[in-house]
Amino acid sequence: MSIQLIRQAFNGNRPPPKMWRSHELKEQYDVVIIGGGAHGLACAYYLAKEHGITDVAVLEKSYIGAGGSGRNTAIIRSNYLTPEGVRFYNDSVKLYEQLSDELNFNVMFSQRGHLTLAHTDGGVNTMRRRAEVNQIEDVDSRLIFPDEIKSLCPSLDVSDHPRYPILAALYHPPGGIIRHDAVVWGYAHQADVRGVHIHQNTEVTGLKVQDGKVTGVETSRGHIKTGTVLNATAGWASTITAMVGIDLPLTTIPLQACVTEPLKPFLDVVVVSGSLHVYISQTDRGELVMGASVDPFSSYSMAGSLTFLEGIAGHVLELFPSLSHVRILRQWAGICEMPPDYSPIMGFTPINGFLIDVGWGTYGFKASPIAGKTLAELIATSKTPTLIAPFRLSRFEENDLVGEKGAAAVGH
Amino acid sequence: MLLLTCPNCGDRNVSEFHFGGELSSRPKDPSALSNAEWANYLYMRNNVMDAQTEWWHHNAGCGLWFLAERHTRTNEVIKTYPYAKRDA
Amino acid sequence: MRTEQDALTTAPNRLHPKQGEVIDRSTTIRFTFDGVEYTAYPGDTVASALTAAGVKVLSRSFKYHRPRGVLCCSGHCPNCLVQIGDEPNVRACTRPVEEGMDVHAQNVWPSLNRDLLSLTQLGSRFMPVGFYYKTFIRPQKLWPLYEHTLRHIAGLGEVNLDTPPGEFDKQYLHTDVVVVGGGPAGLSAALSTAEAGAQVLLFDENPDLGGHLRFTVPLESTSTTSRSEDPDESGHASKELPELLEAINQQPNITVFADTSVLGWYQDNWLCAVKGTRLFKIRTKSMVVATGAYEMPLIFDNNDLPGVMLGSAVQRLVHLFGVLPGRQVVIVTANEDGWDVAADLQSLGVNVAAIVEEREPNACSSPYQDGLVNAGVPVFYRHTILEALGSNAVSGAKIARLDGGGEISPSTAQSLQCDLIVTSVGWTPATELAYMTGGKSEYNEDRAEILPVSTPPGIYVAGRAAGTHAVDSQIAEAQQAGSNAAAFAGFGELDEPAAQPSGVLEPRRTSERVCVPGKKKRFVCYCEDVTDEDVETAIAEGYDSIELLKRYSTISMGPCQGAMCSMNTIHLCARANGWTVQETGTTTARPPTTPVTLGALAGQNMEPVQTTPLHQWHLDQGADMMVAGLWLRPNHYGDPAAEALGVRNRVGLIDVSPLGKLQLTGPGVPELLERIYINQWDNLRVGRVRYGVMCNDEGVVLNDGVCAHLRDDTWYMTTTSTGATTIFEWLQWWLQSGWGEGVHLTDLTDIYSAFNLAGPQSRAVLEKLTDRNLANKAFPYMRIRSARIADVPCRLLRLGFTGELSYEVHCPSGYALHVWETLMDAGREFGIVPFGVEAQRILRLEKAHLIVGQDTDAMSDPLSANMAWAVKLDKPDFLGKPSLMRISAEGPKQLLVGFKMVESDVVPDEGLQIVQPEADGGLKIIGWVTSSRFSPTLKEAIGLCWLPADLASQNGAPFTIRMDKHLAEARVHHGAFYDPDGERLRT
Repeated sequence: MSIQLIRQAFNGNRPPPKMWRSHELKEQYDVVIIGGGAHGLACAYYLAKEHGITDVAVLEKSYIGAGGSGRNTAIIRSNYLTPEGVRFYNDSVKLYEQLSDELNFNVMFSQRGHLTLAHTDGGVNTMRRRAEVNQIEDVDSRLIFPDEIKSLCPSLDVSDHPRYPILAALYHPPGGIIRHDAVVWGYAHQADVRGVHIHQNTEVTGLKVQDGKVTGVETSRGHIKTGTVLNATAGWASTITAMVGIDLPLTTIPLQACVTEPLKPFLDVVVVSGSLHVYISQTDRGELVMGASVDPFSSYSMAGSLTFLEGIAGHVLELFPSLSHVRILRQWAGICEMPPDYSPIMGFTPINGFLIDVGWGTYGFKASPIAGKTLAELIATSKTPTLIAPFRLSRFEENDLVGEKGAAAVGH
Repeated sequence: MLLLTCPNCGDRNVSEFHFGGELSSRPKDPSALSNAEWANYLYMRNNVMDAQTEWWHHNAGCGLWFLAERHTRTNEVIKTYPYAKRDA
Repeated sequence: MRTEQDALTTAPNRLHPKQGEVIDRSTTIRFTFDGVEYTAYPGDTVASALTAAGVKVLSRSFKYHRPRGVLCCSGHCPNCLVQIGDEPNVRACTRPVEEGMDVHAQNVWPSLNRDLLSLTQLGSRFMPVGFYYKTFIRPQKLWPLYEHTLRHIAGLGEVNLDTPPGEFDKQYLHTDVVVVGGGPAGLSAALSTAEAGAQVLLFDENPDLGGHLRFTVPLESTSTTSRSEDPDESGHASKELPELLEAINQQPNITVFADTSVLGWYQDNWLCAVKGTRLFKIRTKSMVVATGAYEMPLIFDNNDLPGVMLGSAVQRLVHLFGVLPGRQVVIVTANEDGWDVAADLQSLGVNVAAIVEEREPNACSSPYQDGLVNAGVPVFYRHTILEALGSNAVSGAKIARLDGGGEISPSTAQSLQCDLIVTSVGWTPATELAYMTGGKSEYNEDRAEILPVSTPPGIYVAGRAAGTHAVDSQIAEAQQAGSNAAAFAGFGELDEPAAQPSGVLEPRRTSERVCVPGKKKRFVCYCEDVTDEDVETAIAEGYDSIELLKRYSTISMGPCQGAMCSMNTIHLCARANGWTVQETGTTTARPPTTPVTLGALAGQNMEPVQTTPLHQWHLDQGADMMVAGLWLRPNHYGDPAAEALGVRNRVGLIDVSPLGKLQLTGPGVPELLERIYINQWDNLRVGRVRYGVMCNDEGVVLNDGVCAHLRDDTWYMTTTSTGATTIFEWLQWWLQSGWGEGVHLTDLTDIYSAFNLAGPQSRAVLEKLTDRNLANKAFPYMRIRSARIADVPCRLLRLGFTGELSYEVHCPSGYALHVWETLMDAGREFGIVPFGVEAQRILRLEKAHLIVGQDTDAMSDPLSANMAWAVKLDKPDFLGKPSLMRISAEGPKQLLVGFKMVESDVVPDEGLQIVQPEADGGLKIIGWVTSSRFSPTLKEAIGLCWLPADLASQNGAPFTIRMDKHLAEARVHHGAFYDPDGERLRT
């Protein structure tokens, strides 16, 4: 029982402490972060905590966590394909493991294990390739076969009669799920405590650039002078970056998800199938949260489609035939921006002082802590940390793409 | 489900079509381009949140690749029309 | 056979028969609830039958495990969720009882009536909203244990893992107009639409049409306490309903879908509905939303106690099921609907203990006001309820007077005995569908309802969904909406503008007093056990916007999806923030409007699979089939190594029908081939075949195959099996976007089947079946010939993927089995073997031939992938050239190369990593194994791998593969492992 709860229990009519405050927009900030999602807020927090940079504004056009941070399926893992991807996400998982303690807010990181199923021998090879790279990078990850799959997940149909027989799986014990909103709120709170100004309902309408250097931000609530701007608006990043005349190698595509009514716990691991374009987990509240691959065409619309629901229902039943009576409660969509090599784009741009944290495709939420931390370091030191050097924007011109695209079409 | 008007076949469910990305054209003389210009053609996209001219393929129908003007925030299809070389 | 008398004795709350009821009293059925047997009439729902039997507690709540009973009786709240057999989370109030049904309470331990988990309430002071975010933080090691416990306390129904898949299906519907809702508004809209000539589909989630007219019009008699035995006298008094139903029956343009929920609206008027196990997908031109309204619960102390019910729930029970849920009733109201209920109950002889009316007497306009007062029913004007009294069910109500300022006067509090508390205090329009279309809403202060103010063209709202409550107004408004919907669909003239909402002129039906403060738990959200104090706490903590409040408190995220709680939450949120309701706003309406099963959404299992014309033959031969893209292909017929040796030593036959097969015709083909392939084509003479590689402009290998110059103007191309569709589409794009002049492209993939007859005896086999001269000189390697094989016109391609003399036989698919069997027969004397994909993989690996997609991935270029010999950088232009020029200039970093194991019987699995030990004891990844097999011909382990270019270019250079438990040595091997000079192919 936390002191906080005991205090709250006996404090009578006194209101509980505010998680974050509202502020007037100042005329000037040292750093302006566009986007009040997990990435932007994490960066603000690490700037304040680790570099003493507290004159920071986080601008959010809606409410904090309204974008991808509150719309993803909250899966955390580090079993990527490339060594650079594995190292980056492994550092993120380590930060997540400490995050409840660090933020004094339970983000409910549930490291219950993550299974990526292989339905073809080609799929088995890809999983083995990932397992090997993971192990060499000291990430707990291995190839397992139907008997062990069945014991980890009795509800899966591991018989040989389905259209997509389960031949093997990549088992990643540290992978799991988290309460995504809590990550946003926890970072927001600790950033606020350290003096960061979080401005909700504040939309960026323009960026000021003089002599190749950023000088200010126009918002729906007025002008801000600043020499450092971070674009952390994954999904909408192209629209912000277009304000300074830079094109990005991104296409924005909706990614949909849905949730069922609560059920008693029966699914203890996260299950992903690349061939069937589905990933599924059961939350602590008992709901099944399910997602698919990105939509078939680009869009900024978050309307959601029936095609998605029909597809995911069929695919889930292919894997879990006993769930036909389980009811879908709600569907939603977020938007993702897909780069050509399925890897993020972080760091400097041709505009001095204008930094980006974009291209987060379908794998952005799981990188929030490490992205925030490394970008805070980059802002504070003006040097690109080694960990994120492979993800620089200039890699496209240099023909030095990251090889993560080789992994699979679905990367959750 | 979105309806698209195939210039040959008329209104059809979008599930009959494949999306081909925003309209861009292959440089006429690739050998004249710098590495940066070639990378720009390969990778950079406008990705507008606005009306976008884009390719669609009627793969479950007549096989036509055609152009659509679609608003990427609302998905409203403003018009569809057959490709002519001047569109590039 | 049981009699009605039996049923009555076990169902003490059952009323005498009435007109309009939906139950069939001629027979009874039996079912069990938590092991106890109950009786019901056909037509009863599980909840109506249990209520008739006097059962009040149907479920336990999500967080505190408080007892819950029937609240809404319309399928919208979570209070009656039960498990029925394998099916979790069934709404008992809408599920018809079936003989032998096995109904259980959910989420209880050990039982519904003694649920020890309800003790969690004792600690509820320490479990405010979001408590789990604030606790279990340290020590972190214990979190998994806490989590385990939390998970097992949460959740509702159970999944039985042995549940059979069930049978579900789908139906497409096309229409002019869809009308959603079969109440007076929906019926009227459907009629006026149909009369205009439009085809109408009318949907209603209830089993019978009529909406609230089926149960809201009070029984005739209000002055007598005697029960009438004659259904005609105490029967339903709606004058409109029979006429409307008759007109609907007569109207041929209307198709009725009862018991069918419209789940969602999607772009371009694409609707989804479900009836049991069938999903409907509907394309309509326009739509009328006449979905009615949800009755709003009132928030007060213990407002979740079984026996607290919404007025409309009581009316449903009484009129549809002949069930009286209480004997002594307190009615809490703020509108005429509450008086209707009072009149109803009083006429049935129920003791109406009190009418607790928020308004002053002169503000009420119920036609039953005088009658009820004259009959001696105690009416407490300017009063409200403070608390529901009782432990597991209502035993009384504490009420108090409101002072001049509308505040509660504590001194006036008094308790009344009762076993049923009915609340009728307001309505929330059920407008989810209208808002999914992009409709806009505003808070109407006069009506205290959030009403639609604009909808996209072709979408119309009518009836209670538009805030119109009076039946006459509903009908008039719906007629206009219906004729507008018809006009939008092309039938008649549009009547502009459609005034919305027309309900403005009516008296208010909804009170803004949504919450009565008190000292106990007052539930806003029944699904998640969220109280008004929780809402205030969350807002004070900073979760102030309606979206943050929803996410933090989980209000409206449970099974009711906000039907019961959204409007009340908006009021509480507005008040706590000092905002107006309009400023507070609403959350986004998302499909489905009603929870829908995965089975219904999935329908029949439609996972497509492609089989070749020889599929049955393969199965008959005991082939082990494997999935390859959409195809099912024989992996092997028992012994792949023997199959491979059969090919090497004698002759084998493999079904390669999944190969993509494209025909290109016209004078523009040579130029096209130059552009789409990386190698040279303009010198390919008629009758010749060439291997070709395609790249995209990034220089990434897309596909490989062969292309034959068949006749002067005709070329025949094959692609990989899994890439066939993609390449066809890809070529169509280049052809249609500027490179198509003089080229016609035809996909022959399914038209032709193909087999590869391979092995030293293949010529001998084929010679038996054709007159064509097969001598090496007449038909050399990499040539195409037309020939009749077994009287079937075929195309023969002399190729060498396996490394042996071989002929790819392409024949019309209709004759495939005939040709195949003829080849097998002819080969018998030569010891022919059918071989599968696995043997082919061994054979090609012995030749170090790569497979695109296995040895290459989505980043591999041909210069690195050992295909540099094919890249013709001196061609004018081709797809990928600038990228390959750059790679060529900078030099590839990695190369695909063959290898042999030092320990020749150790086969490294595909996917293993090639490593270099580092100074710190770690391993550095420098490459990986893409293909590996034990070669039955060479009797040693061979493979292909990616290595750094400098290492790969040294034939025989050693390197290290990280195996499961040790490191294994391998050596670079240049060229084919078997027959490196390719003599066997060419003889």
